[in-house]
Amino acid sequence: MNGDRSLLLMGIGGAGSAMARGVERAFGEEINSVLVDTDALSGDTGGRFVLLGGERLSGRGAGGDVVMAKVAAEDSIGALDEHLEGVRMAIVVTALGGGTGSAATLVVLKRLASLGIASIVFATTPFSFEGDERQRNSRSMQAMVEDAANASFILPLDGLVAGEDNMERALARAVDSMASGVTLFWRMLEKPGYIRFDAERLRRFISGAGRGRFATATAAGEGRAARAAEAIKAAISARPGGQIKSAVIGILAGDDLRLSEVGEIAESLRADIGALASFEVATVNDEATFSGRVAVVAMLFESSTDDVQRGGKAARHGKGAPRPKTSPLGVGPSGRGRFANSEPTIYNGEDLDIPTFVRQNITLDV
Amino acid sequence: MSAINAALEIGSSRTVLAIGETQQDGRLKVICHSEIPSSGVRKSQVFDLDQVKKSILSVLRESEKKQLEVGSKITLGNAFLVVSGAHVRTTPLCGTTAVARQKVTQEEIDEVRRSLDSFSLPNNREALEVVERGYELDGMDEISDPKGMSGSVLKLHALLVDADANRIQDARTAADGAKLEIRDPLFAATCAADAVLEEYERQNGALVIDCGGGTTGYAVYLNGRLVTAGTIGIGGDHVTNDITHAFQTTWAQAEAIKVTQASAMPTVLPGESARVQMPGDSPLMESRTVSRRALNTVVNARLRELLTILREKLEEVELLHRLHAGAVLVGGGARMREFPALIAQVLGTSARMGRPIHVDGLDDTPDSERFAAIAGALLYAQRTYEEKSFFDLIRRVFR
Repeated sequence: MNGDRSLLLMGIGGAGSAMARGVERAFGEEINSVLVDTDALSGDTGGRFVLLGGERLSGRGAGGDVVMAKVAAEDSIGALDEHLEGVRMAIVVTALGGGTGSAATLVVLKRLASLGIASIVFATTPFSFEGDERQRNSRSMQAMVEDAANASFILPLDGLVAGEDNMERALARAVDSMASGVTLFWRMLEKPGYIRFDAERLRRFISGAGRGRFATATAAGEGRAARAAEAIKAAISARPGGQIKSAVIGILAGDDLRLSEVGEIAESLRADIGALASFEVATVNDEATFSGRVAVVAMLFESSTDDVQRGGKAARHGKGAPRPKTSPLGVGPSGRGRFANSEPTIYNGEDLDIPTFVRQNITLDV
Repeated sequence: MSAINAALEIGSSRTVLAIGETQQDGRLKVICHSEIPSSGVRKSQVFDLDQVKKSILSVLRESEKKQLEVGSKITLGNAFLVVSGAHVRTTPLCGTTAVARQKVTQEEIDEVRRSLDSFSLPNNREALEVVERGYELDGMDEISDPKGMSGSVLKLHALLVDADANRIQDARTAADGAKLEIRDPLFAATCAADAVLEEYERQNGALVIDCGGGTTGYAVYLNGRLVTAGTIGIGGDHVTNDITHAFQTTWAQAEAIKVTQASAMPTVLPGESARVQMPGDSPLMESRTVSRRALNTVVNARLRELLTILREKLEEVELLHRLHAGAVLVGGGARMREFPALIAQVLGTSARMGRPIHVDGLDDTPDSERFAAIAGALLYAQRTYEEKSFFDLIRRVFR
């Protein structure tokens, strides 16, 4: 296996496990990974697997029941520990909306935090046609996942595929799209480059990251750098959010990557994103994968490491684990604040502990 | 010597202890009430027994100090417990019996009342009160006294208010640690109703909203009886938390501007400044101003959401349009300007603040609606246990 064991890929739930397998296939080499699910079928493809709630659910899955999935995860979370030895950062891929993907992800993230392991979550949200319950589950868990992870990227499935696809192809494309993005991210951390951005550097960087936006683009031929940068800008503008305070731009290419191309991509994105507190560029040299092409991975955050340092509470998750924050007062990205450690008050699928003006997207002119 | 009772409320934000005494004219007088900030309680549930025990010991000490001011010294042995929290729920019950000779007899009325006893609660639930809602005879309901009426099947409808037995036991355990025995647990919203509602309001349809720190309880009365009750998991602390998040401020600052500056209605009234001064309270948080409109918007969004949920619950049981006597607002989380106006807007009924009117001793207390529930608990104790409370509740030494 290439790479060290300090970086771990985790797939949670049925869709999360499928996406993690997609990353392994796309990467082409063995990855330090583990799949976690209440459904024993997810473990059938070999590799390391943790079955949650084996006695309670007999390996048949949680049937979309968030409460059952949470209880099952809490039953078995200790079984995960043997796979976490030596791990310093976990990349978690999951799908919010279902039972295991929603509830077990939260339990796993809390476990990681308690062990001092930094976490980056890539989570999809359901297609808009998937029904109210899954949408509500997703909305209510999203805030808690953002709170529990060091950095999180929430990607609506609607935005990953075209509406003209048939159902089967759309779902497969969504999984592939997510997996390819995560794979590029994984390559950025694992492969050598002239400007390395390895897992340890990323771990420090995401200590104050919180909610983020994630985009990838590839281009080949004449003007490939400019076209890749434009594609990234288009993807970012399609998912507007708050002011960007920090960014990591990964540029992956073969041996033909020119210094001017690195500068062109970096300057173009920096100008578009605005005045940043922190802007990091990494390059990866991988001729076997990117010969003649350039791929760009962009991670943008609405908070920075400085925010966390001002708050002075980064270590409250134990063992010095970095902690996501957007507030210097410990309110946290979701705003659960004083209720952060209590059971959520769920009504019609919404977590009422999250400020109403946040859930209702009310803009305040303070 | 008159009878004396005590009541304890362990809320998310504050722990309150009150002592009541029956006067010669039979009215209850609150002779002492004390409150301290709570710790170890979240959303009206105990999560740290030791902290709660310390809170109870503190409020007992505070009570002793206040008693000295009114010339008495009471060592409390026990107290009634005011219970709130999302774990409190109501369940409709129905007892049935056959009428033997076509005319309802007293024995048959007794029989149908006994049949309610056969209803068994799960082990993890504890009954707070059972309220008779009226008899039904062959499909004709809302009969107050069926004796002598003709029919063949007699039913008695009742409402059970019950709570999580473990949550109550936690409060008992903490109180035991402070050498205070807990007597009957009582639901805060119905206690408050006892203290603030006039009889005509109970008859014509009245809603009591008890806005606490972590949760909000409610109770509806119609034709003189409790017809529904429940709890919503939003309280005044949620408003404070929202302000904290919106303006990146400390809890103490947010709480202060909530009760002194914020309005439940989003508009800024003529004559009000456009910006609200937020005093600094630490090197991190310096003094600054924030937009009053934004502050009101944050508060309005939260309270409107709370009231919208309440409206949905009242619509479910077809009671929203039967509140002819309006709504009465009580509780420590109720202290926000224009809250009654927002209630009127969302629920479509009149609304007022609920000062305890059936007890003496709180007239000079600012914001006495905060003490409505605990005053109601003392009224319950007086009504139910006065005979017994003489010796076994307290030991009193007159100075």
